[in-house]
Formats: sequence, structure tokens, C-alpha cells
Amino acid sequence: MEFPVGLKYTKDHEWLELSANVAKVGVTAYAVDQLGDIVHVDLPKVGDTFDAGAAFGTIESTKTVSDLYMPIAGKVLEVNKVAIDQPESLQNDPYVKGWLVKLEVKGAVDAASLLDARAYESFVADGSN
Amino acid sequence: MAAPENVLFTPLAATHKMLKAKMVPFGGWMMPVSYTSVLQEHKAVREACGLFDVSHMGEVIVVGPEAGTFLQKTTINDISRLQDGTGQYSAILNEHGGMIDDLIIYRIHHDKYLICVNASNRDKDFAWIHKQAGKAQGVQVIDGSSRWSQLAVQGPKSAQAVEALVGAPDVAQFRSMKYMDIMSLKLFGTDAFLARTGYTGEHGYEIYMANEVAEKTWRALMETHNHSGIQPIGLGARDTLRLEACYLLYGNDMNESVSPLEAGISWAVKLAKGDFIGRDALVAQKEAGLKKRQFAFVMTEDGIPRSGMELFVNGEKIGVVTSGSVLPTVGGAGGLALLDAGKAALGGAVEVDIRGKRKLARLVEKPLYKAKVKG
Repeated sequence: MEFPVGLKYTKDHEWLELSANVAKVGVTAYAVDQLGDIVHVDLPKVGDTFDAGAAFGTIESTKTVSDLYMPIAGKVLEVNKVAIDQPESLQNDPYVKGWLVKLEVKGAVDAASLLDARAYESFVADGSN
Repeated sequence: MAAPENVLFTPLAATHKMLKAKMVPFGGWMMPVSYTSVLQEHKAVREACGLFDVSHMGEVIVVGPEAGTFLQKTTINDISRLQDGTGQYSAILNEHGGMIDDLIIYRIHHDKYLICVNASNRDKDFAWIHKQAGKAQGVQVIDGSSRWSQLAVQGPKSAQAVEALVGAPDVAQFRSMKYMDIMSLKLFGTDAFLARTGYTGEHGYEIYMANEVAEKTWRALMETHNHSGIQPIGLGARDTLRLEACYLLYGNDMNESVSPLEAGISWAVKLAKGDFIGRDALVAQKEAGLKKRQFAFVMTEDGIPRSGMELFVNGEKIGVVTSGSVLPTVGGAGGLALLDAGKAALGGAVEVDIRGKRKLARLVEKPLYKAKVKG
């Protein structure tokens, strides 16, 4: 399972790609593997704003529905139509094609709440989540 | 996932582990939910062949000279229509006409019947049947569940896989089997039954065998992979397959407060055959008119319905989703719903409350996927 080094991760299994004050958010390969076939993704509208930790949508597999949580506070700049129209793209490519929302970062990023690739990998390997 | 306490494992637990199946608790058992993915497995059964461990299902054997008479008085379908080596879909009801369980009854001989019951109901069913039999003469009821395993082989290529288990003298009989037929056979020297039944909407078989030979039988079936395309299938795809075919799931689509008329299986209710437990309540229900009825529906807006979600027409609640899912072969999403009979109409638009958002759906003819069981 792949966890790209340039990204930040949350214990809720979202990833975050930060560049200046814009961030891209998606779900990790581990989350995708745990869910199984992803059949539906529900995402917010452009312009919606969220606090860090807020539920911003849902991801649904054949069997279960899970909430998606914001790794940081921000305003939605763009929503990935590909993820909505072809939810299987999350499965095949969760980090590139399968991104979910692009955000304008609001306020300071709480770095302590985010994991780097190595820390996230050991977190999921721990199996305590 | 760690197994809850007191959970049961089938004789194929080690096989599932080796295959790295995702396991889930179901009806008191740890069962495989998928091996590859639900959608891949669903497709494999529709297009080729799938192998299911359904050893959690219960088996009750009813024997004795009065076995047929006894079952005629305790089940909804007409036992007198069965010949040796045939089966029928049926149900047992409480006095109020509510469903204790749905089941398949096979007539092995005129004085021996095999009943396949739901995993989650096996203790309840056995106790109920046993209690009813206690009042009757010439009937003995045996719970075979702990000694028997069950494998299902389903899909257009299932005959090619199953024929590998059938000895030369039985091949002619095997090939002439019709839908709902059952035959006896030997599997690795032990007595077994092979039925042309299933829960997927495809041509298929269910095999009842002693626990001791379950793993060997599984392996023998898997060895036909090169020509049958057989692969293991979990309960996840079993659920999406049965839902497309509109086969009911006990606990979801029916329970003790739902009658077979309401649950949409009135075709299996034979009121003309004479008295049976629950009959009076069904007659009364029919005369008064059904208050609730089962419908199939498909989503016409995005979103996936799940059991328990509420349905609305013009802002008024008219019932609940009893089973809902993506429909991999049919396309889109949909399911079954138990609705207020006076307020729901075939072809009508309804709204499903999906986590607070009302999404449009349409009530459609059953089944969602036309079963190919007879072909």
C-alpha cells in the first residue's frame, strides 16, 4: 500500500496536499482498501466553508457509508467531478485522479494534528484504528 | 476483524483465512463478506460461476409416515404438490400470520423431508417445528444443522463445476434436473444432497454434505476453475445478487409482524389447500385489504438507499426501505420497500430520505433482474 511522502495524513484516513494557501484533500489507499468497492461519493458545493474536523461529505461502498472529515479549516474552491461521476477512480488512484476537494486554507494549519507518511503508515500498521 | 465471543465458524473457516477473505459476523457466525470485491464477485456469478460457503444455513429433517400431513398443516405452500426429489419455497407463520421464517422444503421420500432454514432463525425454527410436531403422531423432527455443511454453486457455468462431483451412474439424473429438484449422491463416500436451487437469480445448485467432506468438496469444485471460471463469493455479493432478483432476506424484508401477503410472496400461499397455522389471519387480512405491501424501487436521482431509510410521497411518510443497495447488473441503485398500500402505486414517484436529503425514486415491477434459474 502506497502513502506518498509529500502528503500529510489524518487519523481519519484523509490525505492533504498543501501548497501555499491552497490544499487538496482526498482519502488514503488504506481507507479505500478497508471500504472495498466505492460506489458513491457525496461532496460539498464550491464556496462552502468548514472547520478542521468537520464532516464535509460521505464516501459509500457496497456495504457501508463513512463520513469524510476536513483535515484543516477551509473554503471549497473546487470539487472533483471525476470522483463523483466515477467513484471507482478513488480505488484505482486515490492520490491523483481520486482527489475530492480543493480548499482555500483558512487560518493557521495545526501541524500537530497531521501525520507524515511514515507516521501514518505505522498508525495503520498498528491496527488500533 | 476480531471475532465476537461465542461466534460460530463453518468447517471452511481455515480455507477462508487462507484466501484472505474479509470476515464479518452474520447471524451468529463469522462469514466471508468478500474475497476480491463485491462488484467483481457479483459480476462473476452473473457471467460465469461462483462458490459460496453457506454452511451457516440450518437444516431440519422431518421424518415419519405423517411427515407430509404435518408439514401441510404447518407451512404456507401446498406439500401435496411435491413429488420425491422436488422442493418448494414456503414459510412458517405465527397465529397472526406473521413470518417466523421463509424456507425451502424438499421431499426426499414420502416419509422424509429436508427443510433449509435461515441461519439466524435455526434455533427458533427448530424449537417451533419441534413443538408443533410434539402434538402430532407419526412425525419426528431432527436438527441436522450442526452436522451438515452447505455450499452453493451459482452462475451460467455452475453445471460444469458441479458435474465434477457427480459419479458416472448419477450423471444422467444430474443433467435432467429441473429448477427446485433435489437428488441424493455420495460425496467422498458420505451421503449428500444436491438441489437445483439458489439465492442469486442464476442457474445454480446447493449442496448439502457432512461437515467432514466440506473442505474436500470445496477443493474439488475449485479445481474446475479452468473450464467453469468458478471463484469464491462472499455474503456481500450474495446480498446484491439476491436483491436484484427480489428474493427476500429474513430480518430485512420480513419478520414476525409481516405476513407473506404483505411481503410479496402470495404466490407461495395456498389458502385453498386447507387449514394451516396462520391461515385464518391471512384470510382476514385479505378480506380487509392489505394495509402494507412490498414494492421494488429504483433511484432516479443519485444516492444509495439503505434498509431503514424512510420513503415519502408529497411530504407524507409512506413506509421504509427494507433492503437497499447499488444494483451492479441492473445499474444504478434501488431495493425493496414496505409501503402503505393505499398510498403507493406502481410506476409512481417517491422520495427516499438519504441521511436528511430527499432523493427521487420510482416504484417498479418486480423483479429488478429477471432470474435465469430455469434455463
